[in-house]
Amino acid sequence: MSGLATPVAIVSDYSLSLVRNGIRSQVLKHIDLQIRPGEILGLVGESGSGKSVLALSLLGLLPHSSYPEADGEVTVGGVDMLRAKPAELRRVRREVLGAIFQDPMTSLNPTMRIGKQIGEVTDDDAESVRLLETVGVRDAELRLRVYPHELSGGLRQRVMAAIAVGGRPGLIVADEPTTALDVTVQAQLLDLLRELRADFGCSVLLITHDLGVADQIADRLAVLHDGVLVEIGPAADVVRNPQHEYTRSLLASRLSLTMPRDERFTGAAEPAEPAVRIRDLRRTFTVRRGGGRFRGDSGEINAVDGIDLDIALGEALAIVGESGSGKSTLLRIVAGLDQPTSGSVTLTGTGGPQMVFQDAGSSLTPWMSVGEMLGERLRRLKLSRADVKDRVIAALAAVDLPPEVGKAHPGELSGGQRQRVGLARATMIPPAVLLCDEPTSALDASLAKSMLALIRDLRARIGMTVLFVTHDLAVARLMGDRIAVMQAGRVVELGPAEQVISQPREAYTRTLLAAVPEIVEGAAR
Amino acid sequence: MTATLVPRGRLRPVSVGGARLARPVAWALVGLLGLVTLVAVFARQLAPYNPIQPVGPLNLPPLSPGHLLGTDGIGRDLLSRTLIGIQVSWLSALVVVASGLLIGGTIGLIAGATGGWVDAILLMRVTDLFLALPGALVAIAIVAALGSGLVNTLIGVAIVWWPYYARIVRGEVKALAARPHVEAARLAEVSRPRILTRHLLPGVVPTAVVSASLDVGNVVLLLAALSFLGLGQKAPAPELGADTARSLSQLLSQWWVPGIPGIAVLMLSLIANLGGDAIRNLMPVRR
Repeated sequence: MSGLATPVAIVSDYSLSLVRNGIRSQVLKHIDLQIRPGEILGLVGESGSGKSVLALSLLGLLPHSSYPEADGEVTVGGVDMLRAKPAELRRVRREVLGAIFQDPMTSLNPTMRIGKQIGEVTDDDAESVRLLETVGVRDAELRLRVYPHELSGGLRQRVMAAIAVGGRPGLIVADEPTTALDVTVQAQLLDLLRELRADFGCSVLLITHDLGVADQIADRLAVLHDGVLVEIGPAADVVRNPQHEYTRSLLASRLSLTMPRDERFTGAAEPAEPAVRIRDLRRTFTVRRGGGRFRGDSGEINAVDGIDLDIALGEALAIVGESGSGKSTLLRIVAGLDQPTSGSVTLTGTGGPQMVFQDAGSSLTPWMSVGEMLGERLRRLKLSRADVKDRVIAALAAVDLPPEVGKAHPGELSGGQRQRVGLARATMIPPAVLLCDEPTSALDASLAKSMLALIRDLRARIGMTVLFVTHDLAVARLMGDRIAVMQAGRVVELGPAEQVISQPREAYTRTLLAAVPEIVEGAAR
Repeated sequence: MTATLVPRGRLRPVSVGGARLARPVAWALVGLLGLVTLVAVFARQLAPYNPIQPVGPLNLPPLSPGHLLGTDGIGRDLLSRTLIGIQVSWLSALVVVASGLLIGGTIGLIAGATGGWVDAILLMRVTDLFLALPGALVAIAIVAALGSGLVNTLIGVAIVWWPYYARIVRGEVKALAARPHVEAARLAEVSRPRILTRHLLPGVVPTAVVSASLDVGNVVLLLAALSFLGLGQKAPAPELGADTARSLSQLLSQWWVPGIPGIAVLMLSLIANLGGDAIRNLMPVRR
């Protein structure tokens, strides 16, 4: 940890431009950065800020297809990562660098057993087992024989970490390693990174969009905005006493468990008939185990295991749970996209269920214009052409989008705009219940915040009933009048939002809450 | 570690497997497709001589005065024969591929989108039955039953040609139907026919067009094989494949007699492939 030793990586006056969709744009501008031995440097920024490109530069993996044009220097272990020969780059990557990426499923080779993939670094099964045990994989010897798809997301990320530290690297580049993980697994992985640093003495460049994560683990913090390094310093200083305006806005847009909450719906009168009535709902999936083609050893998974819920008219219920808890399956059954094995869902009111999907991009038809897609919802009403046009423009205005968006195709819109279009489609005819499946998990904090505000506004305007599924407790608290915590297909805790967060009754809820990376002592205003 | 180092998400190459054609190049290739079709349609007007009658000295090499591409072993003008040959091959291939796309595409679209027993019986059984039979032999049998002649040959080839497209389209539709945008459309109370035509069909067109364009060359060759067997165009009438096959013995002495119709077949397949690629690139479909 001595700041005097030679830095592992030096980035000096580094500028980079890349070609994307035929247009060359400046991605990084005059970056100066040093990663000291044994330190964890957090790199924070929103999507498009250039943080991943900086990581790829350090790894010497800039995509040729984007015709990178670089200026300045990126040096890792004394080697110029921008201009060195491929063989030299490979040597540095093998001996000095380790990498952990966001999506461990696509970063691991799906056709190779885990043991073989780790073996590429270690050449020795005993060493592989030792590595897997170091990163906290139980039954490591058995895991060597399995393929990546047989492991959970958390385990895959640990395998990636094992491969990354296998070559005893001086620097581990971790690009959003926890974004795809549940909070409890995220907490474990952050602990793991800290332990790896302690055990191997390596430096870590941790790229994240979550200031809370960075604050928990990083020694120093660098903030990247539009390709410019706006702030760098000790993590505690950057988070609690930010100098740059952008850092302040990042902090302000963070959703936390203590942020002020909209209380305007809490007084909703209890009507006799609930808008959504779910009775003893079960959904069983049959899975074949053992992998053998003719081994009939099949098992059953109760994705939804006897759920009873009533959602009052105009109420918002947030469902929280980790991946695999059955919350999405429940939502799909309410939407009518999946059939329950037993039990019933009764919706009162007109308009049917409408859904806002997690991945807005794939929920919009790529070759149809936004106007066409919104217009489709009005076909039942047999309106005149002019009326349809007016209603489409009104629907776009309701989600703060200009009328021109109607002519655009989904590919021409940003992620936030797409999600707004999805919301407009779901709410342009008031639905019996609005189902939201993690609509903000793919968005940057500031975008997520405005999207959530928009859903709340729409809800107030048309008195919608909302069922909001999320893995983020802060979002659940913000969006739900009540929160239901799901675990293994059951609702383990149900109560008013504030109460569930501040006085959780169940041990599981407390575990979830404890794993949320909060910035304590509050951010500077 | 090399196998694990390619990140996903941002900064993926824009297109996998070759650079995209620039728009002007793509338009030029589509123009070429149109040009070939025009040449094929007006071949009779463009041909300088009667393609069946001997009109000059025997075995004139290309670039001879009066006979741009030379003459064959009995003095027929090669340019005229090639032009008429292009007309027969190109238009026939387009008809076969288009009918295959229409029949196979419709069946594949319905089967893929509906699933269940419709898919199982309509596609898995019937299409597999056709695919299991050797296409060329079935075509020959059909032509033999209907009587030889160009129209009957086309009918015969078209009957064995559609199952490929049914397969391709069905697979694409199945993949597309699993995407959330189709579920979103269902939730938005869009009618079934409209989901088929607006939310699924346009996504299938690029793949279908490209595989169809790759097939034009195959159809040209199959038609040539059939006419060599005496099914299809009768002997004196010009036919690119048959002309090549018949004069193959002259390859070493007068290369141009079998060579020029052969090159024409090559050019037709090449133009079809490049044109198909270009059309796909110009289509406003983003995935």
